[in-house]
Amino acid sequence: MSNNILLQSKDLCKYYHSGDSDIAALDHVNFQLEKGAFTVLSGRSGSGKTTLLNMIGLLDNPDKGSLHIAGEDVLALSPAARANFRLQRIGFVFQAYNLIRVLSARENVAYVLQLRGMPKQERLAIADRWLAEVGLEGLENRRPDQLSGGQQQRVAVARALASEPALVLADEPTANLDSQHGESLMALMRGLNERCGMTFLIASHDPVAMGVALQSVYMQDGKIISCDVA
Amino acid sequence: MFRIYLQLGLRNLLLYPIRTGLTVLGLAIGIAALTFLSAMNDGWLQNMKINFVLTQMGHVQVHAKGFEQSRRISDYIHDTKDIDKNLQNTPHIQSFTHRIRVSGLASAAGANASVLVSGIEPENEKKVSRLYSFVKQGEWLQAGDKRGVLLGDVLADRLSVGLGDKVVLMAASPDGDIASEVFRVRGLIHSGVMDVDNLLALVPLSMAQQWLGLGRGVTDVVIRADAFTSVEGISKHLKQALNGDAFEVLRWQEIDPMAEQWTMFAEVYTWIVLLVVIIVVLAEVLNTMLMSMHDRIREFGLMSALGTGQKQLFAMVVCETLVLVAMGGILGFVLGAACSLYFGEYGLDLSQYATAFSFMYMSPIVYPELTFNGCARILIAAMLGAVLAGLYPAWKASRLNPSAAMREV
Repeated sequence: MSNNILLQSKDLCKYYHSGDSDIAALDHVNFQLEKGAFTVLSGRSGSGKTTLLNMIGLLDNPDKGSLHIAGEDVLALSPAARANFRLQRIGFVFQAYNLIRVLSARENVAYVLQLRGMPKQERLAIADRWLAEVGLEGLENRRPDQLSGGQQQRVAVARALASEPALVLADEPTANLDSQHGESLMALMRGLNERCGMTFLIASHDPVAMGVALQSVYMQDGKIISCDVA
Repeated sequence: MFRIYLQLGLRNLLLYPIRTGLTVLGLAIGIAALTFLSAMNDGWLQNMKINFVLTQMGHVQVHAKGFEQSRRISDYIHDTKDIDKNLQNTPHIQSFTHRIRVSGLASAAGANASVLVSGIEPENEKKVSRLYSFVKQGEWLQAGDKRGVLLGDVLADRLSVGLGDKVVLMAASPDGDIASEVFRVRGLIHSGVMDVDNLLALVPLSMAQQWLGLGRGVTDVVIRADAFTSVEGISKHLKQALNGDAFEVLRWQEIDPMAEQWTMFAEVYTWIVLLVVIIVVLAEVLNTMLMSMHDRIREFGLMSALGTGQKQLFAMVVCETLVLVAMGGILGFVLGAACSLYFGEYGLDLSQYATAFSFMYMSPIVYPELTFNGCARILIAAMLGAVLAGLYPAWKASRLNPSAAMREV
């Protein structure tokens, strides 16, 4: 694997059982991602985008195939080691229910840093810096239910980036946002990708997301059909 | 990390104030009831022990070797000089007295009744037992009144005698002869204890020694300790100091095993109640925690996705359970302790229901007593119930598949 390759999957398969038959959610997916990429996975609902993201995020196990991230065979890791790998290397932005509802925006961002054992003052300062970065200065103490959907997604982005992970995975981050907030969020992530050099893999069928992508991967019926570089 | 677990636990509980409030209230009522019940039990038990010991038994008794088993007057202590000297040098002894104890027969005006004659030193006896406080008619034995006798009130009824009447007491002397002596009734005793009221006849020790031909001999040396906790030490000290071939040293539990059995019974009863409370706490908390977990299944999935380990999720849920039980437990304990302290001061009068038990040294007025052991037991039981109740939801939360959990609706 080249030094510039962050992620590589080979023949990744995932089957779901339905009655007597198996449905292939992922069908021998071969995929690689370079460091610093800003890649959008697109395709219709049920094409396998989220399933692939879950496999790469170590949230689910494939039935076949191999997966290496940062040179490590991540499928061989124990559950505890996987949790630790997610903590140290991967940042997540989900479609919805992104935040811990009893924690403030600042505490949500600092949560991952706290899991990493960072001292309080340091992690709160980092949380505030990233909240300012995503345009939420002054809203640090608000709880999720006191923030709009767009603001909540920005907090999730700040949380995903605050720990400076090797890879940021975002699953339909604009799905619950209006077009203006969607554009703003994608521009924000693209800007951070440019400035900080973090690798983004975004599952989305939003044209706005595809518009800012450096690389577009199209999926259908669990297979990668095309891979275009902008 | 423990701090964030506590913080999350507390905030999650406060997110549903009604559900949490009802659970806390239920827990508080249960713990308050348990605290009060435990204090009642300890108070009642302590009261029974005190009554048992101070009515006439004392904390420790010294006899001639074998007397407790044989109850024969021939097994008496010929001279108490050495024993008295030892007792004066033994710490934690509040006071002691000498007695002669012998079974016999009382006769008066054509009526006869079995009797337990007790020859006592009137002044020393007042420092050791509460017998003097049970005099309901007449007066306590006076120094120099050699022929005075105090009778249990039921015994006096059986003999149809009252104050000033003559009673003949008969008993076997050490050499096996039957000796009799005439006494005059100076007072009647009512203690509520069957053995005392139905059988006891108190006479001056000096007269009993003379009448039964014991010289300076006695059957019992009765010791009052400064506290129940001193009994073991006194007993051990005396067993070492006195000649084991000539004397026996018996603690109150050994003299009458009934008291010991009552204590054990009460202990077992307390543990059964504790077990019931643990089950109730467990069921109530388990229900609340399972509901809470069901509501937050996506959140647990999210936490897991963010890198929260299985052990951390497990600890988080157990911690939340402990916070819940601590809230209910503290409130309940304060309520229960307040009730216990109030009734500990003013007493809980159960005389309408409990008079019949007085023969077993139970006082009908119960003074609940908060003890360290009782409080510790409740605290440990509640926390144990909480941990047990938290284990299953915690295990479930820690085993969630993050992607499946986040898909839950």
